[in-house]
Amino acid sequence: MMSQIQFINEFPEEEVFTYDKRIRLLKERKLRQTQEKIDREGGLDEDDYGRVVPPENAHFDFVPTHENGSFYGYKGWTLNYTRILNQHPLYCDPLDAFVGRGFFFMTRAKGEIWNPDYPYTELKKEFSKYNIVCGIGSDGHFTPDIQMGLELGWGGILEKLKKCRIENPVLECREFYDSEEQIVECIIAFLKRMAGEIQALSEQERNPYLKKNLQEMAQVNLKISDQSPSTMREAIQWMCWFSFFSRLYNRGPSGGQLDELLRPYFEADMAAGRITEEEAKFYIACLFLNDTRYYQLGGPDESGKDMTSRISYLILDAADWINIACNLTVRVHDDSDEELIRKGVEYLFKNKTGWPRFSGDNSLVNGFVKCGYTKELARRRLAGGCHWMSIPGMEYTLNDLVKVNTAKVFEVAYYDMMKHEEEPSVALLWEYFERHLGKAVAVTAKGILFHLKYQEKNEPELICNLLSHGPVEEGRDITKSARYFNMCIDGAGLATVADSFAACEQRIEKENKITFEDLTRHMQFNYSDFDGEYVRQMMLHSERYCGGDTAGDAWAKRISKTFSDMVREQSRLYPEICFIPGWFSWSNTLEFGRNIRATPNGRHDGEAISHGANPHSGFRKDGAVTAIANSIAAIQPGYGNTAPFQLEVDPGLANSPEAVDKMVSLIRTLLEQGNTLLNINIIDKDQILQAHQNPSLYPDLVVRVTGFTAFFSMLSPEFRQLVVDRVLAVNAGSEEERQVIEKETRRK
Amino acid sequence: MKGLVTDIQRFSLNDGPGIRTTVFLKGCNMRCAWCHNPETIDSRPELLFYPQNCIHCYKCVSVCPSKAHKLIGGEHRLFRDLCIRCGKCTAVCYAQALQMSGKLMSVEEIMREVLQDRTYYIDSMGGVTFSGGEVFCQPEFLLSLMDACRKEGIHTAIETNLASPFSVMEPVLKKTSLVMCDLKLWDSEEHRRWTGIGNEQVLKNIQLLDELGIPFIVRTPLIPGITDGDENLEQIADFLQGLHNLQYYELLNFNPLGNGKYDALSRENPFAKHRPLPQQQVQILLDALEQKHLAVKFA
Repeated sequence: MMSQIQFINEFPEEEVFTYDKRIRLLKERKLRQTQEKIDREGGLDEDDYGRVVPPENAHFDFVPTHENGSFYGYKGWTLNYTRILNQHPLYCDPLDAFVGRGFFFMTRAKGEIWNPDYPYTELKKEFSKYNIVCGIGSDGHFTPDIQMGLELGWGGILEKLKKCRIENPVLECREFYDSEEQIVECIIAFLKRMAGEIQALSEQERNPYLKKNLQEMAQVNLKISDQSPSTMREAIQWMCWFSFFSRLYNRGPSGGQLDELLRPYFEADMAAGRITEEEAKFYIACLFLNDTRYYQLGGPDESGKDMTSRISYLILDAADWINIACNLTVRVHDDSDEELIRKGVEYLFKNKTGWPRFSGDNSLVNGFVKCGYTKELARRRLAGGCHWMSIPGMEYTLNDLVKVNTAKVFEVAYYDMMKHEEEPSVALLWEYFERHLGKAVAVTAKGILFHLKYQEKNEPELICNLLSHGPVEEGRDITKSARYFNMCIDGAGLATVADSFAACEQRIEKENKITFEDLTRHMQFNYSDFDGEYVRQMMLHSERYCGGDTAGDAWAKRISKTFSDMVREQSRLYPEICFIPGWFSWSNTLEFGRNIRATPNGRHDGEAISHGANPHSGFRKDGAVTAIANSIAAIQPGYGNTAPFQLEVDPGLANSPEAVDKMVSLIRTLLEQGNTLLNINIIDKDQILQAHQNPSLYPDLVVRVTGFTAFFSMLSPEFRQLVVDRVLAVNAGSEEERQVIEKETRRK
Repeated sequence: MKGLVTDIQRFSLNDGPGIRTTVFLKGCNMRCAWCHNPETIDSRPELLFYPQNCIHCYKCVSVCPSKAHKLIGGEHRLFRDLCIRCGKCTAVCYAQALQMSGKLMSVEEIMREVLQDRTYYIDSMGGVTFSGGEVFCQPEFLLSLMDACRKEGIHTAIETNLASPFSVMEPVLKKTSLVMCDLKLWDSEEHRRWTGIGNEQVLKNIQLLDELGIPFIVRTPLIPGITDGDENLEQIADFLQGLHNLQYYELLNFNPLGNGKYDALSRENPFAKHRPLPQQQVQILLDALEQKHLAVKFA
């Protein structure tokens, strides 16, 4: 039965289990649950989260605290969170080492996200004009300090809250402490209830092996309900529950430096003979099954010393064992353990499921230092999400939540110029673009300030506050009390804009092939008028971004630098906030594209804009990876946030030990060149095309979609097309083959 | 100095050690029946026509000075016998239905492209590979390219059929870091039948190359029913056993990707239906060669 959430007496009494068998069975169940999500919820264009479909008889209702039917602020969230937690049933699989699977996120189910008592009508007009994702009312997307949680335990956190309340007896802190204490007390009660329910299930279970596992699970859960964990199993169970609590609240944050989080427990368990390496790997694999959180491995500690340890390798081995959607990042620095990188590449080649990815320490650290931070602090900034970095427990960021659609800005600028200028030119177009981009960035910064001012009244971060440095001590939400406010402003559509500028420059001004007026007419007809397709092909095949020292490359550098400077300028205007530029579009690529008419780079009306910092497909005949790598390195915004390189590799390249050497070398070099983050897909072109046509035939095909990995079958057709397009951009073989395949896939 | 270049492929992983840029020179002195790069054979520029890309703008019809492009019954037809290879049609064909294979490029132009990946060559111990066609159809240009690479400290490799006079090749070979050469068939008559020339000069050149002390790799493409016989491979292996600077002997599986190019050149591909050898069959060949005490690789 698919919506089952407890699996007692599923196996005969005499059935014998090994860790390997349990992993196989757990993975099979995971694939069935994924299919169930697709069948019942219609798939999802985002991370897997380890979430399962709730049982059909489960019903979660909210108590509105606002006349619009939603709830807001400390009281609204506390009331509803504790109420849901008290009702939440236990998901328990006796094959698993842990419990902690959840069904939904309250933010998605509560109704209107933003508290209408705090309107921002004027800002909205500008957001709409430039197609800005403003981040107002968004949550999570920073990294809590999991280590703090492991050290304190829920009991310790409650004690800390009570102590800090005494130190902050002022009225404005009362609501914070009231809410947080209620939440933590509710969590402790919930965990004790869970431990009791697991114990009861263990009594029902007839298979002695699984019964024993359930008994141990119950003991672990009882222990960590209020005490801090002391074994690896307890520590991971604590982390699983933290994931659950934060996901349930608002989808939650990222994980942290997993090898260093687990190392003390692993080493103590090994020294005491409490655990084998196989058991440790099993626990880690179950952690991945529980949730697809982002974790970092390797990289330097504060002093620059490499943090790779035995458990770093076990983590990769565990991910290989379970081999599902997984978000591991290996941090590469000058003193990296070469073997860890190599191991990562081997698994990337072996499984072809898009993990791990690789981040470049030098460019990230040097960039962040330019924001005024120390190198030591910069090294603590870990890979935490699709494209972002965060210092655990220290930052509030709105990472990946604020996007300026620069292609829309270009469109506004283009038509503004055509309306007001008798003799339009590329130089004038740049002036208009610069002016509108400046306005777009400025209003984005205002939106962030508005969010910081009112988010506490809308949706305080009641879970992540508990593992952050500042909120509990000061009695204020993290939007008021974070140690650092490093607010992310990402640009989107870089290649669309760069290619458009380059095409205009080349075809209109250098070659005199067309005028601005004629081009505008063709674009207004979406290139479907007489000679429209001819003009489109001409513009499309101009010198493109990532072509290698092309006009498109030069424009991309100019655009990126201008954007970065404009974002940094906001920090000078608002000195209390550090605004950090990046290039990343996430899944907004499609939606952003829908809002833009045909563009001068030959893009049709409504087609997706370019993805992150990547080029549009067909950017170069040989699709050379090194050409893209050089171009993306050259447009890095340079202040510690990323412009990721999404690399699609043909599996034909991954067929020998020499290929692993070459890929390791490629990774090292492109990160040394200045790239910040490398996401790699190794996808067979034929397989992805077949899976696109019939996803259910490929239930275990995992791809790196943008920053995250996901089961391909869970993605919407549009999103699948996005992945297919990227694969075809470099793996289709010849240009002519690519064009034929593209036509075929779009027709279908 | 300018040379005729078919293509420049960056991030090339299968043409020598490390990460490489492969420069394909146009023109070949062999006529291998199975050639999967037919556009590289002729030493003049050639027009490739991909009708599936044609958007029926007929700009080519209006610019062609020899009336090689015609509009017949609403269909774009190319009359190759009229084509004077001027390339004017390709300059107006943005949809890339018409493409010119073979572009005159200077050493400087090529080096500009090559140098863009310099950092990738360093860490991976890669470099530049000159391939064809047959590279020694343009020996002076090749020598200039070799000198330019050496000046930049870039590792060089060449892929050659070694079917040119040794005196023509020697100046280049002496400056090359690695030579990858083909020995397709042991029997000279068979070699002549399938490639257009006998193998005597190739065999002699392999021995002379060995005496130069330059590391080299000998490769045999596995063409089903032609080069993949036990006897052929064993005889080649016997010949290779006595060589001192041979790095290894490499078997290359049949490459079936040439069909589109044959169509684009309006030529029939006699090997259109051939497929690569299955892994099992390749393994049998590798096992047999193992007896020869020779380092053998398969790609």
